[in-house]
Amino acid sequence: MDFSIQKKQKDSGKKHFSAAVIGSGPAGLTAAIYLGRSKIETVVFEKIIPGGYVVNVEKIENYPGFVEGIPGEQLGKLYAQHAEKFGSEIKTEEVTKLNLNEMPFRIETSHGSYTSDSLILATGTSNRKLGVPGEEEFTHKGISFCATCDAPFFEGEDVIVVGAGNSGAQESLYISRFAKHITIVELVDHPTAEPILVDRLNENEKIKLLVSHSVVSFKGDKLLSNVDIKDINSGEVKNLKVKGAFIYAGEVPNNDLVKDTIKLDEKGFIVTDERLRTSIGGVFAAGDVRNTPLRQVATAVGDGAIAGHEAYRFLEEKK
Amino acid sequence: MGLISEEDRKYLKEEFSSNLKREVKLLYFRKEKNESEYSKQTKELLEELVTLNDNLSLVIESCDNSEKMKSEELTLCPSIKIKSDRKGFINFYGVPAGHEFISLVEGIKDMGSENLSLPNDVIKDLKEIKEPVDIKVFITHGCPYCPGAVRNAHQFSLVNEKVKGSMVDANYFGELSMKHRVSSVPHIVVNDKIGFVGNMPPNLFLDKVKEALK
Repeated sequence: MDFSIQKKQKDSGKKHFSAAVIGSGPAGLTAAIYLGRSKIETVVFEKIIPGGYVVNVEKIENYPGFVEGIPGEQLGKLYAQHAEKFGSEIKTEEVTKLNLNEMPFRIETSHGSYTSDSLILATGTSNRKLGVPGEEEFTHKGISFCATCDAPFFEGEDVIVVGAGNSGAQESLYISRFAKHITIVELVDHPTAEPILVDRLNENEKIKLLVSHSVVSFKGDKLLSNVDIKDINSGEVKNLKVKGAFIYAGEVPNNDLVKDTIKLDEKGFIVTDERLRTSIGGVFAAGDVRNTPLRQVATAVGDGAIAGHEAYRFLEEKK
Repeated sequence: MGLISEEDRKYLKEEFSSNLKREVKLLYFRKEKNESEYSKQTKELLEELVTLNDNLSLVIESCDNSEKMKSEELTLCPSIKIKSDRKGFINFYGVPAGHEFISLVEGIKDMGSENLSLPNDVIKDLKEIKEPVDIKVFITHGCPYCPGAVRNAHQFSLVNEKVKGSMVDANYFGELSMKHRVSSVPHIVVNDKIGFVGNMPPNLFLDKVKEALK
């Protein structure tokens, strides 16, 4: 059992900051590191746990410098420590409302009100839902979006994983420690995960990959007990008896705070220029929430560095 | 080396030193016979923790002592209850390991101080609750969303004596988890009846609890 702790910084009690970062994943905390080193008073708001979604990932293997990979939880803690070392304050508070019509920007959270002269949106993404019958009914009753949280409940059971991208593949490998058998259902005709992960799926006797299939419906009585899946090519519908389903079928941007105020692309991702400026001056976006061609820890870190630097430049020019 | 790293020991010493203004007792109920590795590690952890501050002490009790269990209003074994002269019911059924270790530390700090980080409107609403509310938060050690829910339940108990807040290790208490159909965490059960899933800000968490009481 692990007994290590996420260290907390003392609350400064400040209500105004030069820069506010919403979201403490790799993008947000990297921005905070760069802002801190530029001597900018910075606050980072995080609704769950510093590190963002990355803490759910058992091991990150493609982040340069960590040859043997690094547990996401550990990387998240390191990012938080690094940001705090250079003076940024991390608050575990959920941002509930933003007023970007006036300067300084006004930020309402679950615990109070703050103002800031600049803002970096690094709110990331959430797992996309499938929108099929039974999904709402059996969410948290067999359907899960967090393997590290819920996989132990399916010890010795059959489960399906929806999506054979990187997340679906990685989580399937994790779930295979507990489940008896895993069927991965992928809509397109090939797994979209990195080839190294596909090799591991193929080598794992517990995992079966079904490409060109989609989920038609989730069924059960109080708890999930079976799913209907369809062969895209033949149209044939099969029924699988499963106790659990983990859904990793793409992402939707966490844009609720700004969907009516900031320019978004057709999928709802925040539109930025190459300096990660949004449609509102002084507001920047970094990481998975923006329109970017690749959503990885490494790209989020790069975004965070640019956004942090650009927010600093914005504040300097405003002086 | 113990279960807590040197670096974390140093950090916890500082945290306890600046927060523990009164004596805090960790009450650990465990099975005496055929003690499991799980229970032994819990005991070892608590023994290490209480060396970090003079205001901390550990009392080990047997779950066979049903009268004592009853007087502490505990129903499951093993259990860690944090007590001080501050009113509140901060309890852990099972081991607060992994992501839950922070919940144990925050619980100790809360009981040893006057800390309360709840919004004023939540405090006001909580004070108006008249009936007993038992909140059990089912967790797994790998769940990063769970400590927020556990902390909500624990902090609610500090505001209103009618509220009891307990973490429950869903894997260890498998039968109870099955009874409440726990398959995603945090899964919150109110008064052993109605449940809801997910961490949320204190005001929404309280709304869900009140909804469950209707």
